[in-house]
Amino acid sequence: MRFCSLLPAQVRSMNNCGQYATVSQGNGRSCPGRRAGHAHRARVFHAAQSIVLVLTGFLFASLLASAQNGSPGPRPSDEDSFMQLLARKGLHTIENESWNVYGQFTYISSWKPAFYAPYTNLNGSINSLLPTAERSSTGTATLYFGLRLWHGAEGYLVPELISEHPLSQLRGLGGAIQNFELQKGGTDTPQIYHSRIFVKQTIGLGGKRIVEDSGPLQLGTHYDSRRLVFAVGNFSILDFLDANAFDVDPRQGFMSLGFLTYAAYDFASDARGYSYGGVGELFWDDWAVRAGRITPPKEPNQLPVDFRLFKYYGDQVEVEHKDKIRGQEGTVRVLAYRNHENMGRFSDAIAAFEADPGKNATTCTGFNYGSQNAGAPDLCWVRKPNEKVGIGAFAEQQIGHDIGVFGRAMYADGKTEVYAYTSTDRSATLGVMAHGSSWSRPKDVAGLGGNLGWISTIHAKYLGMGGVDGFVGDGAITAAAEESLDVFYSANFRRIYWLTGDYQRIANPAFNAARGPVNIFTVRIHGEF
Amino acid sequence: MASFKSHCRCACVLLAGLVLSSLWLPLADAQQQPSGFAVERFYQSAPGGGWFVMDDLNISGRLGGAVALTSGYARNPLVITGPDGKQKLAVVSEEAFVDVGGAVTYNRFRGYINLPTPLLVSGTSGTLGTYQFTAPQVSLGTNPDSVSDTRLGIDARLLGKPDGLLRLGAGAQVIFPSGSRADYVTDARYRAMFRFLAAGDAGAFRYAGQLGVHVRPLNDAPAPGSPNGSELLFGIGGGRRFAGPSGWAVIAGPEIFGERAFRSTLSGEAGTEALFTGHLEQTRTEGNLRIKLGVGHALVQDFGAAQWRVVFGVEFFGHK
Repeated sequence: MRFCSLLPAQVRSMNNCGQYATVSQGNGRSCPGRRAGHAHRARVFHAAQSIVLVLTGFLFASLLASAQNGSPGPRPSDEDSFMQLLARKGLHTIENESWNVYGQFTYISSWKPAFYAPYTNLNGSINSLLPTAERSSTGTATLYFGLRLWHGAEGYLVPELISEHPLSQLRGLGGAIQNFELQKGGTDTPQIYHSRIFVKQTIGLGGKRIVEDSGPLQLGTHYDSRRLVFAVGNFSILDFLDANAFDVDPRQGFMSLGFLTYAAYDFASDARGYSYGGVGELFWDDWAVRAGRITPPKEPNQLPVDFRLFKYYGDQVEVEHKDKIRGQEGTVRVLAYRNHENMGRFSDAIAAFEADPGKNATTCTGFNYGSQNAGAPDLCWVRKPNEKVGIGAFAEQQIGHDIGVFGRAMYADGKTEVYAYTSTDRSATLGVMAHGSSWSRPKDVAGLGGNLGWISTIHAKYLGMGGVDGFVGDGAITAAAEESLDVFYSANFRRIYWLTGDYQRIANPAFNAARGPVNIFTVRIHGEF
Repeated sequence: MASFKSHCRCACVLLAGLVLSSLWLPLADAQQQPSGFAVERFYQSAPGGGWFVMDDLNISGRLGGAVALTSGYARNPLVITGPDGKQKLAVVSEEAFVDVGGAVTYNRFRGYINLPTPLLVSGTSGTLGTYQFTAPQVSLGTNPDSVSDTRLGIDARLLGKPDGLLRLGAGAQVIFPSGSRADYVTDARYRAMFRFLAAGDAGAFRYAGQLGVHVRPLNDAPAPGSPNGSELLFGIGGGRRFAGPSGWAVIAGPEIFGERAFRSTLSGEAGTEALFTGHLEQTRTEGNLRIKLGVGHALVQDFGAAQWRVVFGVEFFGHK
């Protein structure tokens, strides 16, 4: 239901007429009224180009950042794939599938030159990004299996192989981790795991018939524009909520973790970013409402899952509306979440330490991150059932032929530790993405975005006392917004491969103005089949 | 004279060193800890293969496929006997898994994948002779998304017609290591299997058999109960088909299967299990369903054959 299925019928038609998401498909479908609107659209395109140039300059100047998520993007019909091959040979009905199989592989290599840091891992704290030059890499290979189980029911299974080598053992960055694949918690030795096993049941409620193209995690089919959808199993909540900006596959788009979703959206999940639970969706033409309850890990940022869904859980709800401005499609979403987990509050950790300095980071008896700072408070002493809440908004808007802007921002309460995603308490993202049809390379993708992340006052005080929280904690802090800029260009070749160059500049890493800025250069090779 | 004393002193020091070394070596032996390995020896057939371990080789038609879900529980799959021949240690006393597999068939060929997930692997730690065994502690909550030893394979029906009296075929599979040896779910090495397959239908009776080689690089000998390298695979199965209404049928009969390491051919290390199986299947339409249940017991519990096991499977399969 995500990807294009989120779009109502008329939006899908606009897509096929050359809008952002599918203009590069070149599928040759006819579009009523296309010629009549061509001249107008050309004027809009030139105006949009000007706007984008201004926006681009603004983005560069202000070091802001932006959005997309971990779900795979749809596969355009002109892209070579195993399923397209079978369909062309008459062996598969791709418009109304009973099964499908897709796959991808991605290798990402990053290099971080040395950067300025007056201190690192101060007083035995352990979560600093190392100031020396480092290399990082990830390799993933994924298979997406889809099967129609019964009327309206689809089953999906996604095994994935991952090998990864993070910078500084993934320590020292908030939402600005340079490669979103690093959230999956792998090692240098390749590991296979199943990232998703879930069943989706769709109940039609009428309205228009929507064509849903075949793709990863999506059987080719037709849906009602008004429908109920239930999904149960093992998945990423980002498969359903906060879908990719402009349907661009994240493995073709921005690389920074801050663009995967709201950096302050500490969605319940295991260390790889996947959860167990259920999601319900109601689609009503241009509107959609989603809600889900999912499992947290047993301990923060760890793999073991706590299946007691009535005791510890993450609840989220999202409302989405799609509309057009001057004929250009756009989407607005509002998302709120509430986690009930066994986590520590920063104020409690500080109070416990001040009352008894013996309760410091080196004397923990429960789960802890291994800090050796005896003069620092630690969350290990105060973990108990607590709540974390946050609310955010997302917007994306086509501003012309093959180009669009998006932004998202979230405010979380910032009272408790990070449990699954990033230590960011408040985040704002802004970005622009474009396909390369203007320069005759329609499958190329370019993007520029900025990401800002803040922590709460009490969070900063805790880190300033030498505490560690998930992946941040230098031993001291000069609190400031973590800022990252991400600019990339993905060049397509042979239809199914993308070679990407990416540059990221991170100021105030781990919300600490005393360190950085950090420059990271990345190359990515991605293939789909 | 001084030189003689000096030589004596050196000899004494050398002798003392040798004595200490000889004392230390057994101490070192006492600390040997086997690293674990893939304890599961229920090498199931490909998705859509009909039997649990054997293969019915009913591969035909245009493009087709199968998806299968198999789950099983084994009791005492790894009980190791100490050097005195009496002491026994159930290093792995309980083992359960769920396996999701998919296959694509075309004409007489099949390609498939299996993704096993350990649900439970546990046992008793202890010492046997000079070996300290650490039992695995795997449960669904500790690492629910792990996949151990993914299997990719191909099978081909080489001779004989579908549903014929005799079908001969061959299969090959590669097992990709994933997981931790300490969990007794993987060898942490690539493995492969090559099998000759036979199957046939004679009226209401069905039969199948296999003979193959399990290319297993891991050789942890002389650690007791551990893999000794590549193995011979063998198995045979048979049953009777009881036809029911609307294309439904039940096939009931035993499967006997096992393996023996080539290196220990003469030492009698051959695990053999018998599994009594029942299949409820409907095969009249393009979309077919098969539900399988098997209950088994070790005939020879050596070499990792489970004392007893229960397996359950569901298969959707068909072709154009």
